[in-house]
Amino acid sequence: MRLRRIAAALMERVESAGVAGAAPYAAFEHAVLLAEQVRERTEALQQTLAELHAAKAEAEAANLSKTRFLAAVSHDLMQPLNAARLFTSALEEHDLPAPSTRLVGHVGRSLQDVEALLGTLVDISRLDAGVLEPDVAPFPVARLLDVLAEEFRQMAAARGLELHYVRSDAVVASDLALLARVVRNFLTNAIRYTEHGRILLGCRRRAGGLEILVGDTGPGIPEAQREAIFQEFQRLGERRDAEDRGLGLGLAIVDRIAGILDHPLRLASVPGRGSLFAVRVPAGRLPAAPPSAPAPAWEGDVLAGTRVWVVDDDPGICEGMTALLAGWGCEVRTATSLAALEADLDAHASGEAADVLLVDYHLGEGDPDGLAVAARLRERQPGLAVVVITANHDASIKSLTRQRGYGCLLKPLKPLRLRMQLVGLQGGGSE
Amino acid sequence: MRDLFPASPRLDGTADEDVPLRTAVSRRSDPRAAARELAVELCHSELGFMLFFCSAEYPLAALSESLDAAFDGVPVAGCTTAGEITPQGYERGGIVAIGFDRRHFAVSCALVEDLSGFDLMRAQRLVDGLLDDCRDRALAPLAEHSFALTLLDGLSSCEEQVLATLDAALGRIPSFGGSAGDDNRLAHTHVHAEGGFHGQAAVVVLINTRLPFEVFTTHHLRPRDEKLVVTRADRERRRVLELNALPAAEEYARLVGLPVEALTPDVFARHPLAVRLGEAHFVRAIQRVNDDGSLSFYCAVENGIVLTAMRPAPLLEDLETVFAALSARLGEPALIIACDCFLRRLELETLARVDAGSRLLARSRVIGFNTYGEQHHGMHINQTFTGVAIGSRTATPDA
Repeated sequence: MRLRRIAAALMERVESAGVAGAAPYAAFEHAVLLAEQVRERTEALQQTLAELHAAKAEAEAANLSKTRFLAAVSHDLMQPLNAARLFTSALEEHDLPAPSTRLVGHVGRSLQDVEALLGTLVDISRLDAGVLEPDVAPFPVARLLDVLAEEFRQMAAARGLELHYVRSDAVVASDLALLARVVRNFLTNAIRYTEHGRILLGCRRRAGGLEILVGDTGPGIPEAQREAIFQEFQRLGERRDAEDRGLGLGLAIVDRIAGILDHPLRLASVPGRGSLFAVRVPAGRLPAAPPSAPAPAWEGDVLAGTRVWVVDDDPGICEGMTALLAGWGCEVRTATSLAALEADLDAHASGEAADVLLVDYHLGEGDPDGLAVAARLRERQPGLAVVVITANHDASIKSLTRQRGYGCLLKPLKPLRLRMQLVGLQGGGSE
Repeated sequence: MRDLFPASPRLDGTADEDVPLRTAVSRRSDPRAAARELAVELCHSELGFMLFFCSAEYPLAALSESLDAAFDGVPVAGCTTAGEITPQGYERGGIVAIGFDRRHFAVSCALVEDLSGFDLMRAQRLVDGLLDDCRDRALAPLAEHSFALTLLDGLSSCEEQVLATLDAALGRIPSFGGSAGDDNRLAHTHVHAEGGFHGQAAVVVLINTRLPFEVFTTHHLRPRDEKLVVTRADRERRRVLELNALPAAEEYARLVGLPVEALTPDVFARHPLAVRLGEAHFVRAIQRVNDDGSLSFYCAVENGIVLTAMRPAPLLEDLETVFAALSARLGEPALIIACDCFLRRLELETLARVDAGSRLLARSRVIGFNTYGEQHHGMHINQTFTGVAIGSRTATPDA
């Protein structure tokens, strides 16, 4: 009898289980069940989170090491490339038979291509790794566009295109080098894809800033592809000629740089009529005493007699520099370290003064860096003009040199840039 | 300034930021004097909230007024107890309080008066209100860095539904709490909020802090082999009329080997019954023997539930292990706020271990009260030690 009663109670309980009701005990049971589920889920979630954290740390470490590897490789590749470019430039100055001149020209252009490709790869990895810090400063936009217009006018003319440049007096605030890459990419693309007609380079004032425009009379970009062209390895249409090398990374870089600089991009295009690429740059304000712009003079012997000291830990570079600078009529003294230069001066030329010091930023292991060398030599010779050369594209070094009133050139060194810098320093007088 | 207490070192209105939580105790029976004594210890310019646990002996209306006057403008919440846990351990007949520094805690507090009508809609509104109130002052992301403290009228018999409903509305925010007591007289228990004491009511306190914390529960009871089946129950009154188809008191007395007349709370404390759900046992504490031979419980009962007889393992050793584990995870706690079932205290009293218990609680910086039931994540549980441990150092900022 008792057993039957117990069994009946248990059956009632079992059969009412799972029925959602307002009974207090059921509410308790429900709460226990929920708490258990929450506990299990929390545990599972925590484990997943821990795994995610580990995976993320691993991926970040891998990414960092990839970036470091690329930086190291590019640095090591830039050095010999730099030397090769200097030698080629020096060779071009020689009086060579016509076939040799043509060959030297080919070598030079090939090296130029390698350099551009390498630079592009390095840039995109640096942009992706987020290590690139923009160095924003005010400058007249004409300082950038005048040079680009000159450069691309010749390229356009070589393809039978006309480049129409509308000059602007506006001052903008941006990273000159990064912005130059953006506009350069626009111009390269415009020339690459336009069969005939003209290229326009100009500016339009906008609220709070300026829009730099590059227009062309090319085939235009179909609506559907306007996003795709900003992705890596995307190229539209057929390559026009075999000499036009590239990885299709141009606009991908433009997109990343615009993101870093916070400069909005704009693309307008009518298929069959042409395209217009634009980047919007905020207005800038020049400091009270604007630095004198380098005079882009180009007279054969303007540098003749200029005394230049070169400090670079790579003897190949020293040799290349000597060849190049001597070709311009400079008097050159090279050394692979500060100590070597000082020893050389003390032994052979005490009291010798220089007009310009060209110093590599990154000198031998354990040696003072280029800035320290410059400071030391300025103690010896106050007012010595300094140009720091570096393969490190960090904005920090550029801004350090600017603070000190030094020039700064990036490796691989372009002979034309070096020449302009030297001429500019001469024009600006001794500071 | 408060000219009433010229001797107080904190009357200049400044507060030491290294003390996020202050505690105070008063053993004065006069409510005015007790409230002032607490205010001297706790009041400073950055006091944001005061939580207290008091003996049910106090004239409650007068105590409300005195607290109101002494803690002018500072929100105050609390409840009556079956014994207080002060900085010195177990006490009775007094009032213990915690002051929360607003630079470390954003606290919001709400009162629920109509417990039987507390449905999910109301719960959601209440929780939304608390979150909104906290949000402006929040010191850390609300969902991850907050916990809720519930104080319920311990004789309302509504705990299960209210808690399950509230827990659903709180979502991921952990909650714990206790049912108010009345020094084992089982007559009237009260919670305090919004300037007064209330019966048949609940107080919900939402606490947001940058300090690390952990809500926990523990008990020291282990299952025996004997099982009792509830064959008749009065769920409205939480009464079990029959166990194993025999009068409940009689069958329970047989289990513990005592005559029915000898069944007193200390026997209930040492011979608890529990329901097993999954791997866990949840004690269903017996409140008293009724004249009709039935047993009243402190929590919901139902026909057909199976009760497992439990035996106590050493209580203080279990507690010490839990405190050590908390310290290992959080660092030395600044404070543990505890809801400690009054049956546990009864067991310690029977075993003459109260002093040892007080020393352990004082050493572990526990402040709290003896309850008529505890709450943990929406569960109404009995004969446990349930609370929150609050670390003393801010955890390293989230990545």
